[in-house]
Amino acid sequence: MDFPTKPGEYDPINYVPHADSHGTKELWKTFWILLGITVFDFVIYFVMPASGLRNVIFILFGLVKAYYIVGAFMHLKHERINLALMIIVPTIFIVGLIMGLLYEGNAIGLMK
Amino acid sequence: MATEQTAAFEKQPMWAGGRSPFNVSYGKLMMWIFLLSDAFTFSSLLVQYGAQRFSNAESAVTTKWPDPASIFNHFPFMHGVHLPLLFVSVMTFILILSSVTMVLAVEAGHRNSKKEVQTYMLWTILGGVAFLSCQAWEWATFIHEGARLDSNLFGITEQGYKHLESVGFGDHFEWEAGDRTFGPVPFAALFFIVTGFHGFHVFSGVVINVVVYIMTLRGVFERRGHYEMIEKAGLYWHFVDLVWVFVFTFFYLI
Repeated sequence: MDFPTKPGEYDPINYVPHADSHGTKELWKTFWILLGITVFDFVIYFVMPASGLRNVIFILFGLVKAYYIVGAFMHLKHERINLALMIIVPTIFIVGLIMGLLYEGNAIGLMK
Repeated sequence: MATEQTAAFEKQPMWAGGRSPFNVSYGKLMMWIFLLSDAFTFSSLLVQYGAQRFSNAESAVTTKWPDPASIFNHFPFMHGVHLPLLFVSVMTFILILSSVTMVLAVEAGHRNSKKEVQTYMLWTILGGVAFLSCQAWEWATFIHEGARLDSNLFGITEQGYKHLESVGFGDHFEWEAGDRTFGPVPFAALFFIVTGFHGFHVFSGVVINVVVYIMTLRGVFERRGHYEMIEKAGLYWHFVDLVWVFVFTFFYLI
């Protein structure tokens, strides 16, 4: 079966590209990384007094965890770069929105 | 055979129409687009939370944003012991673990191993149910402490502030009558809305997982020749885990 040489010879709605198993090594590695970061979060929470720096550390750790979940568990690292960019680029703007509105929220708090 | 098909398929012009430009199936692409829109939903809630919280940070003592460590400090069967962050860390661990079993089910699906898919899906469902049970306990405790959607008792009066000052702002400390007053409404309201919205996603995820588990049992994917449905359910399940990472960070850690 020659597949698909001419447009219209196959059904794009039902076409599923063949997926190969990458083995479980990467998945377990990701699990240990996620667990390690969560334990590290827990430790920092108790040994470091609350501060802006601590909050920045927690957010950065959150982004690292997000990278591993999306990259390895959701397989985005192995997808086409087009798909990855379509998903990641808009979310970067959200980070900007959060920073901007925290700043504005703080300004509102000072005027209250 | 399947690999040859994929190779032939990939030679097609990418954006000329008649093929999936991202080289994923229609269903998987739609799942990704749904997740992107869901990410915006959760982001808008978290942006709202951040802005509300920061606008209460520097104001007067009595309307100050409550310290999460002094409120989320309970653990089942450990009544009256100050254990901040511990319970929610256990919940995080459960969710990460169920993400791993989910991804192992996806991997087993790539090898068309029906038995393994069944085992791992069952573990994933159990993890989801365990997480939901923990969240129910967390909510029950929070409501018992006096949190409501429209009010909460986590504000501090001037008397309470003096009391707090006298013990050097220690974490573990028993409030006396008249120490506490109504706190900022968004504190409990956003907690209920955001964790409730996330919990509802976990619940839907469990339902989806149960459906694909039954489909696996009945051999639907075996007959279809591929286990892509497990992958799509998995994408949703990992997204729920991903949202929890940020709920955990913004509601409990910070």
